[in-house]
Amino acid sequence: MDFFTACVWAAGVAIGIAAFGCGIGQGMGVNGAVQGIARNPESSGKVTVTLLIGLAMIESLCIYALVVALILIYAHPQAAEFAKIVAGH
Amino acid sequence: MDIHQRIIKFVTTSNWFLFVVGTLLGFINTPMPFAMGILTGSLLVTLNFHLLRHTLYKAMATASGKPARSILGVVLIKYYIRFAISGIVIFALIKGNIVDPLGLIMGLSVVVVSIMAATTLELTRLIFKEAV
Repeated sequence: MDFFTACVWAAGVAIGIAAFGCGIGQGMGVNGAVQGIARNPESSGKVTVTLLIGLAMIESLCIYALVVALILIYAHPQAAEFAKIVAGH
Repeated sequence: MDIHQRIIKFVTTSNWFLFVVGTLLGFINTPMPFAMGILTGSLLVTLNFHLLRHTLYKAMATASGKPARSILGVVLIKYYIRFAISGIVIFALIKGNIVDPLGLIMGLSVVVVSIMAATTLELTRLIFKEAV
């Protein structure tokens, strides 16, 4: 497998795993929050704020993974060097 | 004002503060693509945070009486829509070489830094309160 194919594979797998994990994490968080509010409606404000902070942190992880995946495909720091090596052969 | 409201107010204010200060410092001290990365990244996550807050408050305000699955669905669908839009924007920025990826990552860290700062502040306050 050549370098550029490996980069595209790595990017695809990375963002797939990240989105999957973040989706599950967010789902578990919201599920817990909704159940908590259902049992104790007075705690709604506190639970929502804590949930908001947690979800923002989870979401940023997924965005980081997206950026890294896009860097691997479009802005790989060593892409030019590898292209030269490939062209030389 | 209780601790939760204080944290959320601090994070919201701190996001905009870091956005303005980071962008200004970026344009003064760093090359144009790096500064553009900070500007677009921090704007993107700050707007994302506001939309997430709006979605959650709306969903939780009407939570009682509704099944958990429907609320979960609404929040997750809106999350994926936001994520897709962010993805398209970030894709366009990186593909078009408009921004430097490192600057973009710095800009995207604004919300994380705000939350870390808010947590540290509250923790420090708690420790000093207990010490006194």
